[in-house]
Amino acid sequence: MKARRVKGLDPQGALADNAARIVRVRLDELCSFMPKAADPEQVVALHDMRIAAKRLRYILEITAPCFGPYAATAMKATKGLQDLLGEIHDCDVQEPDVMAQLERVMAEDARALAARAGDAEDLDPALLKRIPGRAVHPGLVALAVHLRARRALLFARFLEAWRDLERKGFRARLEFALDERAGATGNGATPVATPLEVIE
Amino acid sequence: MAKAAEIPVDPLESYASAGARIVRVRTMELFDHGENVLDTEDIERVHDMRVATRRLRAVLEVFAPCFPADAFKSALRDVKALADALGERRDPDVHIAAMEQFAAVAAAAQRAGLQHLIGLQQARQAKGNDALAAALEHAERSDLRARLLALADAAEATA
Repeated sequence: MKARRVKGLDPQGALADNAARIVRVRLDELCSFMPKAADPEQVVALHDMRIAAKRLRYILEITAPCFGPYAATAMKATKGLQDLLGEIHDCDVQEPDVMAQLERVMAEDARALAARAGDAEDLDPALLKRIPGRAVHPGLVALAVHLRARRALLFARFLEAWRDLERKGFRARLEFALDERAGATGNGATPVATPLEVIE
Repeated sequence: MAKAAEIPVDPLESYASAGARIVRVRTMELFDHGENVLDTEDIERVHDMRVATRRLRAVLEVFAPCFPADAFKSALRDVKALADALGERRDPDVHIAAMEQFAAVAAAAQRAGLQHLIGLQQARQAKGNDALAAALEHAERSDLRARLLALADAAEATA
């Protein structure tokens, strides 16, 4: 997903002014995926929302100390959301992989079975005991089932996490924090260290 | 997990000057993590270097308007290529670890299938390692580190 362009950035301007512009756009980008991403079938929207969360998290990790205290809280909340969406994405990638592998094994088994039937009038079900992939079927099916169930569980947690953010006024509070500039009063506020170590 | 240096930021500092300082630190961190990264016995090295590329890529994108456009595009493209190569190695590392954990508690009848999948991921891991070796060589040959530091210098000069 291509990031929305942020207009009006000025390299000679204050870091906080520029960062606030970027955060507003990234925040709007993130929120724009709901309610579409609340549909578990909308895999692409969920994936794009994860990317949007990542972009918001990164700008906050660099510049949260420029803003009011809620910016740091929002950074942690965004990281939590991104992690959850990342785990859902992993399931969305892995399950089709496992199913494709199962399909390959089944196709090979079907070919082998047909070859063993030879000139018989019909296929003898007893031949199934000797298909080459019989040992790997249970593991592939078990993992696919596990991934699907885990995805459902994670998705329910994502909806709950988003509702919780909304209940706590995530968007409005972050927007408010952007106007609460640290040091904006010119009273010698001490620059604070950027907690970038949480990027992983 | 790779620990990043803490970089103080001043809200009133110029955007370009902050970008220059942060890009320098993140560039040095990235290349500090390059040692023995192709060793598949220690998967944390790839993880640490991947985290360092993410941090660097994030700051490059955040401070993009502060850098000379052409040099920035080329450096960002190479950082992305390095990140992609690290991802090609890291993804199978993670899948192998997860499947091994799953196999450890799975029923005996399920283990052969899981072992089959682990074998496929090991093949992907080897391929990913080749891609990573090529990306690291390209980064060195094209002097990516010096180009990134030059971007920071250029940003500082305009601040």
